Amino acid sequence: MTTPRHTFNKAYVNPVGKSVPRIDGKGIVTGQTKYAFDVSFPNMLVGKMIRSTIPHGRILSIDTSKAEALPGVRAIITAKDTHNIKFGSNEYFFPHTIDQMAIESEKVRYVGDEIGAIAAVDEETADAALKLIDVKYEELPAVVDVLEAMKPGAPQIHESRNNIAVILPVNFGNADRALKESDYVREDLFYTPAAHMAALEPHVCVGQWETFSNKITLWASSQAPFKCREALAKTLKMDLNDVRVIKMAVGGGFGGKLEMLPMDFAACLLSKKAGGLPVKICCNREEEFLATRRKHGMIYKIKSGVKKDGTLMAITGEVIADGGAYCSYGPTVIAAAIMRIFMLYKIQHFRVTGYRVYTNTPISGAMRGFGGVQAGFAIESHMDMLAEGIGMDPVEFRLKNITTPNMVTINKMVLTTNGLKECIDKAIESCEWKKKHGKQKDICRGIGIGIAADVMGSKMYKSHESAGSIVKVEEDGSVYLFTGAADTGQGSNTALSQIAAQELGVSYSRIRCKSGDTEITPFDTGSFASRVTFISGNATLLAARDAKKQVLNVVAEEFKLNAEDLDIMAEEVINKKDKSIITSFDKALELCYAFNYGRQIIGRGSYNPKTTPIDFRTGEGNVSGSYGFEAQIAEVEVNKETGEVKILKMWDAHDIGKAINPQSAEAQIEGSLAMGIGYTFLENLHFDKKGRPANGNFANYRLPRGFGMPPIECIMVETNDPEGPFGAKGMGEAALLPTSAAIANAIFDAVGIRIKELPITPAKIIKALKEKEVNEKNQQQHLTEAKTL
Amino acid sequence: MLLNPLTFHTPTTISQAAELYSTLGGARILAGGTFLLNSLKLLKRKGLKTPKNVISLKRIPELVGMTADSQGLTIGSMTTIDEIFESPLLKDNFQVLRIVCRNISTQPIRNVATLGGNLTCRYTWTEMPAVMIGLEAQLHFIDNKGQASSLSAEEFYKAAAKTDKILTHVRIPRDTKAAIAYRRARKSSNVDIPLLSLLIKTYFEGNRFTKTHVSVNNCVAFAQRDQVLEQFLNAAVCSKTIAQEALDHLDKNIYDNRSDEYKQHIFRISIKGAIEELITKQAKKS
Amino acid sequence: MTTLTINNKKYDLDLKGHEILLEVLRNNLGFTGTKTACEESECGTCCVNIGGKSILSCITLACDVADKAITTIEGLADGEKLHPVQQAYIDHGAVQCGFCIPGLIMSSKALLEKNPEPTREEIDYALDGNLCRCAGYLKIYEAVIHAGKEMKQLAGTNKN
Repeated sequence: MTTPRHTFNKAYVNPVGKSVPRIDGKGIVTGQTKYAFDVSFPNMLVGKMIRSTIPHGRILSIDTSKAEALPGVRAIITAKDTHNIKFGSNEYFFPHTIDQMAIESEKVRYVGDEIGAIAAVDEETADAALKLIDVKYEELPAVVDVLEAMKPGAPQIHESRNNIAVILPVNFGNADRALKESDYVREDLFYTPAAHMAALEPHVCVGQWETFSNKITLWASSQAPFKCREALAKTLKMDLNDVRVIKMAVGGGFGGKLEMLPMDFAACLLSKKAGGLPVKICCNREEEFLATRRKHGMIYKIKSGVKKDGTLMAITGEVIADGGAYCSYGPTVIAAAIMRIFMLYKIQHFRVTGYRVYTNTPISGAMRGFGGVQAGFAIESHMDMLAEGIGMDPVEFRLKNITTPNMVTINKMVLTTNGLKECIDKAIESCEWKKKHGKQKDICRGIGIGIAADVMGSKMYKSHESAGSIVKVEEDGSVYLFTGAADTGQGSNTALSQIAAQELGVSYSRIRCKSGDTEITPFDTGSFASRVTFISGNATLLAARDAKKQVLNVVAEEFKLNAEDLDIMAEEVINKKDKSIITSFDKALELCYAFNYGRQIIGRGSYNPKTTPIDFRTGEGNVSGSYGFEAQIAEVEVNKETGEVKILKMWDAHDIGKAINPQSAEAQIEGSLAMGIGYTFLENLHFDKKGRPANGNFANYRLPRGFGMPPIECIMVETNDPEGPFGAKGMGEAALLPTSAAIANAIFDAVGIRIKELPITPAKIIKALKEKEVNEKNQQQHLTEAKTL
Repeated sequence: MLLNPLTFHTPTTISQAAELYSTLGGARILAGGTFLLNSLKLLKRKGLKTPKNVISLKRIPELVGMTADSQGLTIGSMTTIDEIFESPLLKDNFQVLRIVCRNISTQPIRNVATLGGNLTCRYTWTEMPAVMIGLEAQLHFIDNKGQASSLSAEEFYKAAAKTDKILTHVRIPRDTKAAIAYRRARKSSNVDIPLLSLLIKTYFEGNRFTKTHVSVNNCVAFAQRDQVLEQFLNAAVCSKTIAQEALDHLDKNIYDNRSDEYKQHIFRISIKGAIEELITKQAKKS
Repeated sequence: MTTLTINNKKYDLDLKGHEILLEVLRNNLGFTGTKTACEESECGTCCVNIGGKSILSCITLACDVADKAITTIEGLADGEKLHPVQQAYIDHGAVQCGFCIPGLIMSSKALLEKNPEPTREEIDYALDGNLCRCAGYLKIYEAVIHAGKEMKQLAGTNKN
């Protein structure tokens, strides 16, 4: 009797480079896919965090007795129930930035800071219990403005740190001399606000402590389940393998779900105290804005010099990032805010210092772009202004100074494939730059460019950032891919399945992908820094290759051939030498599992890019195994009466090495760009005097909607990276880095005004237009006066 | 649970509804629910008192629907914004209502939000009050004794929209001769914080404005007419500069002076734009 | 006892009056396809269809719609066969994290049932209450246009 076989779709053979449908699409469109938001168990308790109501103070006492007496309250935890162990996000390279406790015991540092948690039978009871918690604080003066926080005498948020969590001084060459030798020097100050990831699925988790075995399971909405596991094990003093984190489908992360949060810790500990009942903690939208993670607001001071012929001589400046109450991914963000310059421009003389500063406000983490968005606005606007200063076309200026393929930057980044020039050339051609730039002022239209670079990963919380994959081929021909990579909606399960199918030589429809379960899937550092396609993709490729080899060894043995001469392509085992077909994949598998052989086909792969983190003493570091590039162009029309800016069209030329799934790649670009448009015009998370979000809801924190989207032309530039799986590099972040600058540059082209503070609002446009008018009148006056003298 | 316990009433006649409303102390009327239900959630979250009784008007057929005749348009108070927007009855002389509806909130909201709610609930923020004043609409009510009454929209808002009666329908007179312009200014096209809603209605005699109505809302204490601007326009002659000049003839006493520079700017260009639109339309006709 | 009609089936529930439809769907009946992301009628992830219109279940009292037919995302597919809107969303790459998708599909379906050939402006207008943070909307619009064509064709074949 033969095992029943799966029927496979021949159309999905050789899937790399094809826009195959998402592997998880059907579940999503039918509403069947389960997110952590949907997880529910019998007798599950509702958990709520006990949060500080003051921005800065010492905790004198917490009295939970009245709350404990409330019927329906099953467990309450405060710091005394914990080991008081700190955790952070850059543990390996920046141990001094480990500054947050899951449940604070001594101090609170922002309104929302977690000082305890309650588990009750329902939400009503949990809310009522919260009101019965009696906390006594010694309130301390708070500081919510980043510049105030840096001044001597400011309230100190963490011990002996001067409110500076991290300093990154980057120095190369002799910037002062290079500035002196420049023909044109200019200095600009840019302000970029705080923002929020605003993923639609809030932070939510279910924790369960299995009391007889002392094992924890956490069902999580997480971009980095292994990091979460590590932090849980550390803070709960458990063995790593007694903690299981199961990533469910995730409703968006954008950098906000890259870490363990106190609620993950609390759900597990509450479960223990409640005798092992599962505890679900879910943030409402207000808590999302208040107490999860947000984007660093930044002040970017930049002073550069250029020669008349456009050569960029030196870049100097200062970056001040508002980090909120704890460090989170601070070091990586401040590094990204400065380092991306080296990926884009050939620069020998450089002196920029970055400060990541504490304030008594919600915690700044790693929002998509990691600091590159704020930097992108400042740098790309500034570059345009330098070009303007020497009367050079902004595109010519870029082409004169950009990095090239196969070069090493001054800070030791190894750029191999580099499609930046091709991206610029293709974008310019598509948008008809020469016809439009400087030529549409009479109709208040303008066109502007911004360029950006993408990394594929970055060593952060561990010394390595490897990914692992297992490819298991079953008896009936279905293929299981186990990957630690976390699909948070960007389609990594699909792309990795395509890679597995392509390498194994079979149809994509055979693949079933299981991702992000720390007990079942191999280790992976997580979904961030656009690393998944490149790093996890390579691990998957290697695993598929290994599985293929095992199959071919059996076929070789059976047919008395050389395994090295065989390959699997398009569902057939072939002889590479003469291209003859030996047998089908299905028959080969039957052979593997037949009684003479009885071999399980289990392929494994592990990949760790040969990279180094940024050394914070020298600014040197080759952070990524490869680098991606992009040129983005915006064409706008400014309504001088209302100040509204309409984006007529955008072009994005993107060097992604190779598009594993072109439709997915386009979708990522469009989504990234939408986020960039949001940050340019709408998103501004600001805080009140107590450091609380003043617009922490969707009514007042506006996200882009369909009617605000311009047509977007995506141009894929395929440089076929030798290190990437099938030539692919990562992407997912780059498309929002240059957006604000491209638009600001286009506005300058249209109506001659410079907005250096985001978001670009109609009010700012009107004000700038008025100022321009006044300046021009004054100039005219001076000219007239000069004439008469 | 998102809401505190309450008793939900579903009257099927207007008099039943009016009776319940006057006898149940502190009861709230549920029309579309776009304001009430969010507000009840918020009250519960903040631990504040919530109403014990909610009266739904959804099952009273007389309150829904639109009819038109040679004299005017009648719109039931429970007619949704989307129903008004889609109605073919707006075709002759009532096109401005289509533009007004188009600029209200988002589609799922428009699908349930009602004319009655827009007129009586959070009415310093909404769109319809200024429009109904400008179109000289009559608001019709029924009290708990079944007695019908009506008053003009203008009077209704002067009395701070206070009523213990049920709003049953709105009657808008058909006006074949009026020239109408409507403006709704918001903080930005994406941020639905209203700065101004404005309706200007006038009758052109040659190139003169006559019997002009200027009604405004959102930037004023209550929806009302700007009689200073009306007087100015009635005395003026259409010209290229009249719209700009008009901005110096606003009733300073009624407008909110606290608005920042940008809001003042948007405010002014909205008024200017509306006047220019009327002049352009008139010029086209001649 | 209150009877709710959801996806052509009747469900008897002991409702007191203050239950919001969204809660009843997710917690009492296990229809977790309908989501919520804001609880204040801004995001559209809670959209269902009632009377052919896209309705926010987070501002609907369950008792207030006891006499209406409610359709949720779970009621669209016919066994394995997807509704044209669902299929179009997959075919055109409109699905990423998926949290907004049920609400968007319901709003799209309501639009297309009324108008299977909407202009870009009409789609802007009909979907302005649905947020999506991942996709940037363009592929969603593509999916809507193609689903409409498919639905029109099916309606035509059904007539014959």
